[in-house]
Formats: sequence, structure tokens, C-alpha cells
Amino acid sequence: MKSSLPIFLAVFVALGASFGGFVFGSISQLGTAKQTLVLNSTETYPVQRTGNATLGLQVYRANGCAACHTEQVRQEGAACELVLMGAGKKPDAVAEVLKEIAPAGGEFSANDLPKTLLRGVTKETADVAADKISTAGGKAEIHISAVGSDISRGWGIRRSVAADYLWDYPVQLGNLRAGPDLANVGVRLADAGIQLRHLYAPRSTVEKSAMPPFHFLFETRKIGATPSPDALPLTGTFAPPAGYEVVPTEDAKNLVAYLLSLRADVPLYEAPFTTAGPAATPTNAPVAAAEPK
Amino acid sequence: MNHDISNPKPHATAHPMVPIWVISLTVTLIFLAGVYFDHHSGWFDARVYGPYANAEQVQMYQPLAGAEAERLHGKQVYDAVCGTCHGADGMGMAGKAPPLAGSEWVLTKGFKRLTEIPLAGLNGPVTVKGQSWNASMAAMGAGLNDKDLAAVLTYIRSSWGNKAEPVEADDVKAIRAELAGHAMINGETELKTIPE
Repeated sequence: MKSSLPIFLAVFVALGASFGGFVFGSISQLGTAKQTLVLNSTETYPVQRTGNATLGLQVYRANGCAACHTEQVRQEGAACELVLMGAGKKPDAVAEVLKEIAPAGGEFSANDLPKTLLRGVTKETADVAADKISTAGGKAEIHISAVGSDISRGWGIRRSVAADYLWDYPVQLGNLRAGPDLANVGVRLADAGIQLRHLYAPRSTVEKSAMPPFHFLFETRKIGATPSPDALPLTGTFAPPAGYEVVPTEDAKNLVAYLLSLRADVPLYEAPFTTAGPAATPTNAPVAAAEPK
Repeated sequence: MNHDISNPKPHATAHPMVPIWVISLTVTLIFLAGVYFDHHSGWFDARVYGPYANAEQVQMYQPLAGAEAERLHGKQVYDAVCGTCHGADGMGMAGKAPPLAGSEWVLTKGFKRLTEIPLAGLNGPVTVKGQSWNASMAAMGAGLNDKDLAAVLTYIRSSWGNKAEPVEADDVKAIRAELAGHAMINGETELKTIPE
């Protein structure tokens, strides 16, 4: 063949490039990931799952939960909030500065501190304003929060990052959201009883749930000499026939242990936010999105 | 042989000409791709995720400025240096270290006396919240820099219900200079001679 060398080289380059991009690139980027520290703290993250929860991941996988549920929270931006904490020794000078900074004006009294001056601004704007205030002798804090549609749905307080999946094998990212995102379901619904009832009869806890019932993870059996302490408290149309009880199997218990272990609610270096300090405003107040640019 | 020139046999030329517009379009696309890559890739940094564009931006968005960061800094120093004896909750440890929460020696108007305790150390009987302690503390603060010590003292004076003026690094520096070579403070008797 006349041009065998160019063909060989072309194939080599094509395969080599995809190997480099998909395998070598990913390994050199995240292959050495290990536990990190929670931001501004000495705690490590993420902590290893309990044995039950580790087994539960396999139940999650076997039942194809990832077909309808994702485990990834998206974030569209980060917004800052500037909060005046104190006016220091020269409140008049601070009030003068506030006139420039806050659109609402420089009016403040010592009683309504801490007071939110700016909301939904970029870090640059907040930094400049905080500098002006501290030059005038006052004290201001900058609160950083993640914004995005997932976050306003209450699915998380920050985006998901690689560290969140350190103990997952295989990682159950999912790509379809027929059901809600589960990256923080252990924070949202920390009650094992509700989780179990939801698995057995989804509509007993969520009225319009589209989730199929997972009856095969439970055992419906005749009540023996004493009722099982694990039996689900089911009522109405969901209740088993009289004289019977619904008891979760080991699989169901492990699955719930796994679901409760899904909590990504601490700030990390790569996904920073300010943990609830002396909050000036309720945390559910709407926050305008600001793209970091 | 057929010499029909209107229907010539196709043949490959050695160097087919690529139109100049294809070359310029390709170069332009590669350039734009490079610009996009520069703006959005974070240069493959494992710690850069959207919506942040690069490592500098992630660094900028760290909640590390202002009074809260100062308090967290103080907490880190406290947990590493002081907390092992005085407790993470500032309640002290029986027979080892007196509480700092609500202690009259912490909640003084000024902070000179309080600052001298970690700088020089304290040995001998001292009464804290009506309870007598006879323990010895080495000069734990002598090894900390002015900023760390100021942060940890501010943290002690503003945590667990304590409310007192913060301590500034410049003041710590002055007190440290004044105290140079001082032996351990001898219990409550000497402590009381130090102005608040």
C-alpha cells in the first residue's frame, strides 16, 4: 500500500488524542483526588459512608434510580451581600460613605444593625464598598451565596463538585430529572421513616409523585406474636390487609441509609459560600443573580 | 484511442489547491476556539468549576475578608492552640484550665492584662468565676505572630456569649515589645498589678 505510513500515523494521532483527552486528561486532573478540608474549618470532607450506606449505593444502582434522579446540583452564579455590622467610633463618616454606596441611602441607627446594604452584587463591587466603609471606620461583612435555578428549588446550597463523589463507586450522576435531584436528599428529608414509606408507596408521602412503588423491597407478612418495630405506619388505601404488616428488607434499609448519606451542604474551596453567620436577612429572601465576570 | 477533450479522464494533481478562504476560515476558527478556551477552561485546574472562569476568580470569591474571616481565623488558631485545654466551647477543663466563657479576666475593659497571659505564661493560683484554680500555663502565645494572637484573643472575647472590644495586631506588637524577657506571671497577685 502506497500511503500506509500516513494512515498509520493518522490513526495513531486520532486514537492518541482521544486517549489523552478522555483518559489521561481526566486522571491527571482528578485522579489524585482525596479528602479535603471544609472551608475555614479543620473538618475533613467527605466522610466515608457507613457500611449500610455503601451497600445501599449498590441497591440504588441495581434499581436504576439514576435513570430518573440526578445527583448533581448546578450553579449559575455567585452573589454577594454587603452587610453593615457596626459603625465604629465615627458613625457620621460612615453614614457619609453609605450615601455613595447604598441606593437606599445612608440612614441607619445602631439598633437595626446588622443591616444589609447591597444584595446580589459581584465580589468586586462588594469589596470596593467594604473597603470604603472600613476606611471610614465602620465594619462590613460580605456574605457569598450560590445562585441558580437548582439552588432556588432548594436542591442544594452550592454546586456539586468532584469531591462530593469521592466515596461513590460507580458515581450515580444521572442525566434525567423525572424526579427531583438527590444530591442533598439527606439534608432535605432526613427522616428514615418518611423515606421508607416513600419507597413503598410514593403517593403516601408526596401526593402527585410519579415514582413507581418499590414493593419488592418490602415484605408483607402476617403479624406474628408481636408486631415488628420496623413495620411501616401505613394508612388508608396504602395499608396492607388487616392482620398483615409491611416490613422493609435489608435492601430497603440500606438504600435509605445511602439516601440519608447524600449531603453536600458544606462550603469547599472550589464551591465557596458563606455559612450562616449573624444573618441580617432571612436566608429564603430572593437573591438576584450576578454572574462573576 | 479516444481523444474526446470534452470528457477528460479524472486524475489527481500532486498539489491540489486549497482555496484561500478555507485557510483563513480555519485559522479564524482556531483562533476563536483558543479565545473561548482561555475564557472558559480554567486551564484544566481541578479546583475551577463553573460559574467561575479561572483560579483567580475562585480565590476572589472565598469568604475570607471582613470580620467573619477574622473570627474564623481566630477560631482556627484557638482550636489548634488553646482549645485542647480550654475546650472548644471555652468552658475549660477540670483541674487543667479555667473557663474562658464569662471569665472576668477575659471580659476586661482593656486587653493589656489578657494579652500578657499567653505572651508570658501564668503560674499559680487564680480565681475564675468564683472558683479557685491552681494550674500552670506556658507562654502559648509567644510563638504566635501578632496577627494570629490578636485574632485568637478577639475570638475569645467575642465567643460563647462573651462580648468585649476586639484586639488589634498593632497593640499586641506593642505589648509584646514591652514584655520582652518577662518571666511567667506569678498567679493572681501579680496579674492584678497589671493594668487592664
